[in-house]
Amino acid sequence: MPISGMVALAIGALYFLVPVFATIKFSVEQGHAGFGLQAYRQIFDDPQFRHTLWFSVQLALETTVVTMALMVPTVYWVHLRLPKIRAAVEAVTILPFVVPPIVLVVGLFDFFKSFSPDWLLQDFVFSPKFLVCAYVVLSLPFVYRALDAGIRAVDIQTLTEAAESLGASRSRTLFRVILPNLREAVLAACLLTFVIVLGEFTIASIALYQTFPVYITTIGSAQAYPAAALTVISVGLTFVAAAIFLVLGRIGLRKRRTALAAGMTSVAPAAVAKLGEA
Amino acid sequence: MGPEGTGAVTLSSIVAERVDTVAAPGPLPRARRRAPLAWLGAAPFFVYASLFLLLPAGDVLLGAFRSEQGDWTTANVRQLFHAEYLHAFENSIRISIYSAVVGGLVGALICYAALHPGAPRWVRTVFTAFAAVASQFGGVPLAFFFISSIGTLGVVTQFLKDWMGIDIYAHGVTVFGFWGVFLAYVYFQIPLMLLVLAPAVDGLRAEWREASESLGADALTYWRSVGIPVLAPSFLGAMVLLFGNAFAAQATAYALTSGGYNIVPLEITNVLNGNVVSDPHFGQALALGMIVVIAIAVLIYLPLQRRAARWMT
Amino acid sequence: MSVRDSDIEDAWGGFLEERVSRQSLLRRATLLGMGAVAAPAFLSGTSAFASETLPTSGKAMSLADLVSKAQKEGTINTITLPPTWANYGEIMKKYQSKFRLKLTDTIPDGTSAQENAAVVSQKGSKRAPDVLDVGPSFAEIGRKQGLYANYKVSTWSTIPANLKHASGAWVGDYWGVISFGVNTDVAKTVPASWSDLKDPAYKNMVALGGDPRQAGEAFAAVFAASLANGGSLDDIAPGIQFFADLKTAGNYITTQATSATKASGQTPIVCGWDYLQLADRDLQKGKVNITVGVPTNGVYGGYYCQAINKTAPHPYAARLWQEFLYSDAGQLLFLKGYTHPARFADMSKRGIVPKALLAKLPPAQDYKTVKFASVDQITKAGTVLAAQWGPKVLGQ
Repeated sequence: MPISGMVALAIGALYFLVPVFATIKFSVEQGHAGFGLQAYRQIFDDPQFRHTLWFSVQLALETTVVTMALMVPTVYWVHLRLPKIRAAVEAVTILPFVVPPIVLVVGLFDFFKSFSPDWLLQDFVFSPKFLVCAYVVLSLPFVYRALDAGIRAVDIQTLTEAAESLGASRSRTLFRVILPNLREAVLAACLLTFVIVLGEFTIASIALYQTFPVYITTIGSAQAYPAAALTVISVGLTFVAAAIFLVLGRIGLRKRRTALAAGMTSVAPAAVAKLGEA
Repeated sequence: MGPEGTGAVTLSSIVAERVDTVAAPGPLPRARRRAPLAWLGAAPFFVYASLFLLLPAGDVLLGAFRSEQGDWTTANVRQLFHAEYLHAFENSIRISIYSAVVGGLVGALICYAALHPGAPRWVRTVFTAFAAVASQFGGVPLAFFFISSIGTLGVVTQFLKDWMGIDIYAHGVTVFGFWGVFLAYVYFQIPLMLLVLAPAVDGLRAEWREASESLGADALTYWRSVGIPVLAPSFLGAMVLLFGNAFAAQATAYALTSGGYNIVPLEITNVLNGNVVSDPHFGQALALGMIVVIAIAVLIYLPLQRRAARWMT
Repeated sequence: MSVRDSDIEDAWGGFLEERVSRQSLLRRATLLGMGAVAAPAFLSGTSAFASETLPTSGKAMSLADLVSKAQKEGTINTITLPPTWANYGEIMKKYQSKFRLKLTDTIPDGTSAQENAAVVSQKGSKRAPDVLDVGPSFAEIGRKQGLYANYKVSTWSTIPANLKHASGAWVGDYWGVISFGVNTDVAKTVPASWSDLKDPAYKNMVALGGDPRQAGEAFAAVFAASLANGGSLDDIAPGIQFFADLKTAGNYITTQATSATKASGQTPIVCGWDYLQLADRDLQKGKVNITVGVPTNGVYGGYYCQAINKTAPHPYAARLWQEFLYSDAGQLLFLKGYTHPARFADMSKRGIVPKALLAKLPPAQDYKTVKFASVDQITKAGTVLAAQWGPKVLGQ
């Protein structure tokens, strides 16, 4: 690697890691009392830490499932058959950025209360399921972008045609042929959704739910050292969770990769063959 | 499908076939018979978006034109054009563009370095996992990151003062203004670009690089003919995402500058969700302004992206 | 703590006995009346609970009745009550243990606007907030929008007139003043007055808890600075000018001051509520040395208001909460949190304020010149500040 590359990497590493170390340093400081892990102990002993973390993880998993179920078929279908409305879909997925969370959540409650019968209100609107639905909306921009990037790299027209000419139904095509090719994109989208929900504060707080980010902010404004400890803990937990997720997502990938490679060469044989000839 | 009849085989033509079919407009013959039904495929998305985004947010558009008493008015929208609110829009757009461009370019470079075919598996996992953490970082913890690093008593500030004799604060450098907010925003923009571009970088087949080299092309040619054209549409889309992400962010800027670097989301919070003044309809007018800005950004981006996708055609 | 909890327990016991004996006659009458109402309601199949109108005064119902009705509800939802704010942590715990009710607090860091918004958007939900603690201007907004139930606690008459609304829609619970909280490990000397803040030794040291256009505490600090620099409760402009000058001099930094930035020394001098800074001083004892002092001039007082949600899911628990807060015991708990409770004047007159508790606050004469703004004055000043803070102080 050239020197300029190494210098760039070093500066990059410093930029990203120095703040983490500075916060770690602060979290183990006890001022006049020297150094210690009291702040960490305080956090781990707090039952709210466990409750809110588990609650947020559940929300994150549910949001990921719903978002994938909604967006993967949509992105596939829009790229395959409806390229003209792709622009409309993209525009809609950008909208969550411009509607401030405060406005969105108040609007959501107003809108649903205006037509919901009482059972729907109690079982859905005033339950965490509503929060999941709002989170799906929040993750739309990121998920669409990741899936879109992945799908552009795959020749879905040919793959779909090939699968259907072999007699596969549409859903079979989607699950057995397209999805394996989109594995990396789906992984990226799931990961994005997961961390978005674990980090979302405004909507949860306005809807009066005690999620992990709400807990972090509560501690953050009231107590100096535990706040820093909590930041370090949440950074560590998220990093480990993301790493596990990525590794798990790749189990069996190598086997499928070789099978797919064989499949790919059969799909675009002429191109590769010509390469050999040239 | 095949490249018969194309005569000379060039690298770009091989790639062009794949890009072309993906970007080709118009449905296939078989689908034309089912064209009306095809719209159903996109229905779930639009129904969901209407229920949980468009209709609730439509409230905003209407509310911006209403007054406290309930009658229609343009006073709120006209107030948007006062100097300080125009300034807030200017600030918002500036920080969004700067952080999207810098974050996007650096993020794309790191993405390629860490994830290109051939990069070791562990590098990929570590970078992606850290990107997952850093991309959603913000607000008070992120501000604290920078305050504890380059604040007046920050680790880096002290280091520079004690070991190199440089007192950056004496020269007027401050973390509590545009540059502090910029540095903090880039902290989450770079990882976001990495995560969102990763699938596209994955789509760069190793065979293309090999083919390019076997045809005698150098790195520059490879990038010009293959790499950049393939990545361009996704890269542009990701940039819009970064722009929107920065545009909507507020907690970090607030924690660092308490409104000193004034951006539109903070103005909205002041009137909609604060402890001092309350002016909900003006808040909705500000949100309407935000929608207009993003709409313009998307309108600029869409034709660019279409162009990029048809680069080879 | 040097103040014995038994001091507060004594006050509480007296409260219970007094109420029961005074109200026992009324109680019997109420029970009879309720029986008369309940019978036909029961026969007609509707719930007696739903057909009752809720009491609008603490004197309309005996405490024992209120407690039993609240216990039937089983729980209370509060909102925006940080445990370290005015000793709410202990207050919430005591309420739960005394009455065997469950208490759920949400968004401890929320704003007054959010509280009112939650009342509206969560209407009909079992998780809607039952009671609120909002700033006065938002209490007025909520009252005008019909969000609150009128309720006058049994100790209503002992609360000063300028701290309550005559209808009973909202009532002030405690007040404090803007003070200087100083990390003396970093700032070697403690400023005594607002003009001291201009000292060049305090370069890059003075901060507020947020943007005065958004954060009530920061707004109050600007008001206080105005009082010290020739302004008045009708004129906040000198305060804005003061901070503009302080920023030009380089003393005022716009970082949001938090407990962490104070402890780390990043914002060693913070202008904020005395009760918050005193509580923070206690929290940081042993790690960081913090001194809190009331400025010698420009003493601005701010109070917060209790209100009951008109559509509260647990209306009796809500009223019991207010009865608890405004009892002697409850007010002393607020005092323990370094605030001046609303009934402070009445309690000191009756001599029931423990001296040890009083000694922990700054001396009484520091508070002599305290000024409170009316809701109109606050609203007007807020508008002026929102327009001028950006251009004058931040150079926008």
